[in-house]
Amino acid sequence: MENIIRFERISYLYYNRIPALSDITLDIREGERYAIIGANGSGKSTILQIMNGLIPQSTGSFLYRGHEVTEKTLRDKGFLKYFRERVGYVFQDSDVQLFCPTVLDELLYGPLQFEMDQTEAMDRATEVMQMLNIENLKDRPSYMLSGGEKKRVAIGSALMMNPEVLLLDEPTNGLDPRTQCFLVELMLALSEAGKTLVIATHDLSLIAEMHAKVALLSEDHRIEKIGPAEEILKDDDLLLKVNLIHEHMHYHGREAHKHRHSHYFFHKH
Amino acid sequence: MENKIPSFLIARSSAAPLAEGRGRLRISFIEKSIQHLAGVINIGHAQWESASRDAFLQKIDARVKVLFLLFYVVIISLKRDLVSESLIAGLIFMLALTSRVDLMDLYKRVLFWGFVFGFLIAFPSAFNVVTQGEIIFPVLNLEKSHTFWIYHIPQEIGITREGSLGVLMLTSRVMNSLALSFLVLATTSLPEIIRALKVLRVPDSFLMIITLTFKYIFIFTKTVEDMFLAKKSRLAVHTGNAESRRWIAGRLAFIFRRTRMRCEEIFKAMLSRGFADEVRIYKFSRLAALDWSAGICLFIAGVIFLWI
Repeated sequence: MENIIRFERISYLYYNRIPALSDITLDIREGERYAIIGANGSGKSTILQIMNGLIPQSTGSFLYRGHEVTEKTLRDKGFLKYFRERVGYVFQDSDVQLFCPTVLDELLYGPLQFEMDQTEAMDRATEVMQMLNIENLKDRPSYMLSGGEKKRVAIGSALMMNPEVLLLDEPTNGLDPRTQCFLVELMLALSEAGKTLVIATHDLSLIAEMHAKVALLSEDHRIEKIGPAEEILKDDDLLLKVNLIHEHMHYHGREAHKHRHSHYFFHKH
Repeated sequence: MENKIPSFLIARSSAAPLAEGRGRLRISFIEKSIQHLAGVINIGHAQWESASRDAFLQKIDARVKVLFLLFYVVIISLKRDLVSESLIAGLIFMLALTSRVDLMDLYKRVLFWGFVFGFLIAFPSAFNVVTQGEIIFPVLNLEKSHTFWIYHIPQEIGITREGSLGVLMLTSRVMNSLALSFLVLATTSLPEIIRALKVLRVPDSFLMIITLTFKYIFIFTKTVEDMFLAKKSRLAVHTGNAESRRWIAGRLAFIFRRTRMRCEEIFKAMLSRGFADEVRIYKFSRLAALDWSAGICLFIAGVIFLWI
């Protein structure tokens, strides 16, 4: 499988003054399940926003299928269409992503932007709504949806263009267990269908379930380690160092004891 | 789930090859809005950074600085000669220097706003049509003088010595007042300035409203910035003005709804923490020796300026 995304020594300064990423180098292969994990504020969302060409890196280069992605290249109509058709982004806050009057309008927005045949666009919307179990919501405005429903619509709107890469920012954050389970199954099914998934999360159970390749970010916004989920999750010292697990004290009967605690699976003794 | 994946998602993503050079895209309203919003947050960060430096004015209590600002603005307005204004400008410069403020940034803003609100507004009064006196720079010679009602237009129109002195005086007053205000803003965090307004007997509830407004401006600016990024992520063609206006109207409605909801949530949070129609702000700490000595020195300097 060839590299679909390449980051070469990418750094980013938020508002030109606050470091958000330092010297990030990573390669993502076609069809891969790739997770970017790290503590709050480590730069996960910033990586996804650069991958979607939303913010320009301060230094370094970003290649998509060997094509350099910069502010300049994204101004080229041909390249922008090529890039946007292929890379979909699901924002952490679904509210900011859903801006059309109804759920159906939301799903049709992307295809109509790309001048897709209207019948084909409607067929796609119907299929996506069936897949996400949101057919009954099609005429509802987004502000009348629950958090889980909004997330489904946001994913649906990104999938309508059939992107080859789907960037998901904290996809399971704030969702009930049933919707989380639905999303994990959906992501696995999309991966089976050949999509490249890039997930930014600090939910360790999610990356364990996804069996993803993991890039672990440190709190100083650097790559601490890249490796398979199983290997990263086994390394308690590493997870402790980047603040993804913590040590806590609790009681067993009348005896208090202290151990490291991660919120995936169950307590590891 | 596998059975439910639509066939178009299993098919390869768009097979259309990359066709570069199909023209440049204008998405200026998105880009400009993002830059503008980033600018708002950037100003907030710059102000906070500058106010957190370990330098002279930053160490002084906000109450002393607010009183210093008001006292000196009154002095600047009372002085009627350029020498005093220059001396006050010198003092402000020295304070800015010892407070390690970005001098370029400070004086760039002072010059711009001083030019707009000082020089440009006062400039017409430099002509003998407004201010009588000795013409030092003739501009126009009419055939004869004209008189309409209470207005008199002399035969020779030009800039007078008295008029230009008046313009210089007003411009220097505006620039000094601006420099002083920007200096206090650059060396004091805004929440501290707002709290310091308590010494001017501004009601607590009003201070609390300003504090909350200041905080939520940044929160909503970030939300709006994210909305623009979300729009950008789905934008691949040029959007017309009508479409842009529709989108902005929709987002305004969203922000309004969110603001209202947030307002209700904040009120509930206040109630749950014991709010009962009366706002109590944590009392100020006592002034330190440095605050007293700096305040007294600045007061004495102010009195000397009034004297000379």
